Amino acid sequence: MGEGRVMEQVLKLRNLKVVFPTDYGLIRAVEGVDLDIYHRECVALVGESGSGKSVTSQAVMRLLDSPPALIRVDTLEFAGQDLTQLTEQQMQEIRGKEMAMIFQDAMTSLNPVMTVGKQIDEVYRRHYGDSKQAAREKTVKNLELIGIPEPKERANAFPHQLSGGMRQRVLLAMAFACMPKLIIADEPTTALDVTIQAQVLKTLRGMQRGCGTSLLLVTHDLSVVASTADRVYVMYAGKIVEKAPVKDLFTAPHHPYTVGLMAAVPRLSDEKKKFTQIPGTVPSPIDKPSGCYFHPRCTYATERCRREMPRLTPMGPDREVRCFHPLSVGRNGHD
Amino acid sequence: MTELMTLQNVSVHFPVRGALPFLKKGEIQAVSNVSLSIHRGEIFGIVGESGCGKTTLASTMVGMIKPTAGQVLFEGVDLNSLPRDEFKKTRRRMQMIFQDPFSSLNPRFNVYQIVSEPMFIRGEDDEETMKARVAELLEMVGLSAGDMYRYPSDFSGGQRQRIGIARAISLNPSFLVCDEPVSALDVSIHAQILNLLLELQEKLNLTYVFISHNLADVKKLCDRLAVMYLGKIMESGDSDKIFAQPLHPYTQALMAAVLDINFSEQKETEILPGDTPSPINPPPGCRFWQRCPKAMRGCKAIPPEYVEVEQDHFVACRLVNGFPDQDMPEGYDQPLVRLKTVRGR
Ligand SMILES: Nc1ncnc2c1ncn2[C@@H]1O[C@H](COP(=O)(O)OP(=O)(O)OP(=O)(O)O)[C@@H](O)[C@H]1O
Ligand SMILES: Nc1ncnc2c1ncn2[C@@H]1O[C@H](COP(=O)(O)OP(=O)(O)OP(=O)(O)O)[C@@H](O)[C@H]1O
Ligand code: SF4
Ligand SMILES: [Mg+2]
Ligand SMILES: [Mg+2]
Repeated sequence: MGEGRVMEQVLKLRNLKVVFPTDYGLIRAVEGVDLDIYHRECVALVGESGSGKSVTSQAVMRLLDSPPALIRVDTLEFAGQDLTQLTEQQMQEIRGKEMAMIFQDAMTSLNPVMTVGKQIDEVYRRHYGDSKQAAREKTVKNLELIGIPEPKERANAFPHQLSGGMRQRVLLAMAFACMPKLIIADEPTTALDVTIQAQVLKTLRGMQRGCGTSLLLVTHDLSVVASTADRVYVMYAGKIVEKAPVKDLFTAPHHPYTVGLMAAVPRLSDEKKKFTQIPGTVPSPIDKPSGCYFHPRCTYATERCRREMPRLTPMGPDREVRCFHPLSVGRNGHD
Repeated sequence: MTELMTLQNVSVHFPVRGALPFLKKGEIQAVSNVSLSIHRGEIFGIVGESGCGKTTLASTMVGMIKPTAGQVLFEGVDLNSLPRDEFKKTRRRMQMIFQDPFSSLNPRFNVYQIVSEPMFIRGEDDEETMKARVAELLEMVGLSAGDMYRYPSDFSGGQRQRIGIARAISLNPSFLVCDEPVSALDVSIHAQILNLLLELQEKLNLTYVFISHNLADVKKLCDRLAVMYLGKIMESGDSDKIFAQPLHPYTQALMAAVLDINFSEQKETEILPGDTPSPINPPPGCRFWQRCPKAMRGCKAIPPEYVEVEQDHFVACRLVNGFPDQDMPEGYDQPLVRLKTVRGR
């Protein structure tokens, strides 16, 4: 990264806040998230269940229903356009053509009664006004590119006739159809088997590089992040707690939560019969702790952590961490 | 070490009714001719991808499914030949913990009702005894007696899994099947539950079957294991031996597919091509041949035998065990030529 990067910014998000009023109280799902995505990079947003990853990515595409969500944002710029100023109709034009989304569950994002080929044709017809035939030609080429064997025949299959991995590939084909500037993939491989997950991630990454698309990869799986992303945002309880280039994050995590998460991922090289755990549980979104949201689970917490919320603070090039006592390289050893 | 559970040539087939027009009528061979033994006091892992028959096999072990063929021996006695009473009594000593902590607990029951239900069914009716026992169980799994009157919806995923565990151990079982108990949980909670299972094993002298698709978990947790593919066991036996030297190409592929977070060790790995084929009317020959990077021409037609290649290390693969000497077609041991393999980062 650094100087070498073409600083063309695809997405600029500043101070996104999303709350859901409920009968039990206010759910603060996202609390002031900033996100930058540059041309051709793969940015991972990683965090455990309920940390606000999906809400953030849906807000970026303006797909969150409001109500129930109450959304506030200072800046939401996509390829130089201010998305907050666009009408829903203008947004619809952008979605699919310039920005596309891939969800975890292919079965619910595909139309069960339409052949997958036809669903991809639609994208070309809608956004480019292609003829039926021209669209189908593109579709078949696209399916082939994404690694579907016998693409011409498979185009005539209905979603339920394809395996999970194959359906996920169809979603990729659909997302890449218009060569969008940005693709948001929310847990794209979580539902897949390990060997299929490896195939799909590889294809996703290859397509992204080949097409010059930027990718926001939303996941709870650090190993997916390590093998796929260029830069990483770690989210906890609605806030970004650490931001770093992927290599820096994995070689020297600074936030105690990141350190704990990494230690908790089982590895083939680990010791037997012993699992490193983070004590406690993720706070309830209605009743978050005082001070640093991580303090009840943090080994390094001090009085200040209990009282005061740390800010996201720069720590070297391209790195930020939200912690009063970030772990330096030297301190990583003893956890 | 003595054997607690032995499976002898167990098969479970489900009929396909042909209700879905694109399926041919036939049968799903969910579990196919499986033989293995589980030793008292050990953790036995079952690994494999979705649909390979892990849950079906485990359900057969605890008597929830009757095998189509073969025998399930618990302490040397054929489970399915027991008279009804005996069967029930024996079944109580075996319990199961499920993957999904959200749907496996009845949302209208409070924790006390959920955890005490097996005792109640067994015929316990003294409220005070049950309360004391539930309190004890809750403490044992890291919850508190004060949680007794709360409902599942008040708990996080990890806590619900703890409730499920408390219920499973309520009748002092000796054999516990954990069907992907942490797959639905966050990583930070994942380790807590596995540590709890280890702790309980020691305290209560339990034997576990641990089902998972995560090889790293299995390696850390299990003493012995079986790797399944399409209803059949590809490799099984001593965990240290298998991980030190995986002999089956499928085991090797599974190990290669574990994405590592050691960033410096991100390596070019061979990615297994193709999809898992359907277990409906599976082809003759090795069930893995279509995806096997090392398949030979003979693998297509002749199923491999399941052979003990060293003490407590079984493998079903022609690469390891060779082909029969006689009546082999020409070129049977030549590599099978097929789709190119995909390479990963
Ligand atoms: N429509 C909604 N109404 C009320 N609360 C909501 C709604 N959508 C999301 N939330 C809450 O917002 C918080 C963040 O949810 P989000 O779906 O973004 O989490 P996530 O990080 O994507 O988690 P997961 O890994 O489980 O998908 C959660 O506490 C969730 O319960
Ligand atoms: N009651 C049933 N009737 C018909 N088919 C079944 C039944 N139960 C399981 N099967 C089929 O048997 C095969 C094995 O299923 P099983 O649930 O044992 O797999 P699994 O390895 O546990 O998969 P997963 O990892 O997805 O839980 C699957 O093809 C499944 O569809
Ligand atoms: S601010 Fe304090 S409590 Fe929060 S992560 Fe840092 S050390 Fe831990
Ligand atoms: Mg989500
Ligand atoms: Mg299962």
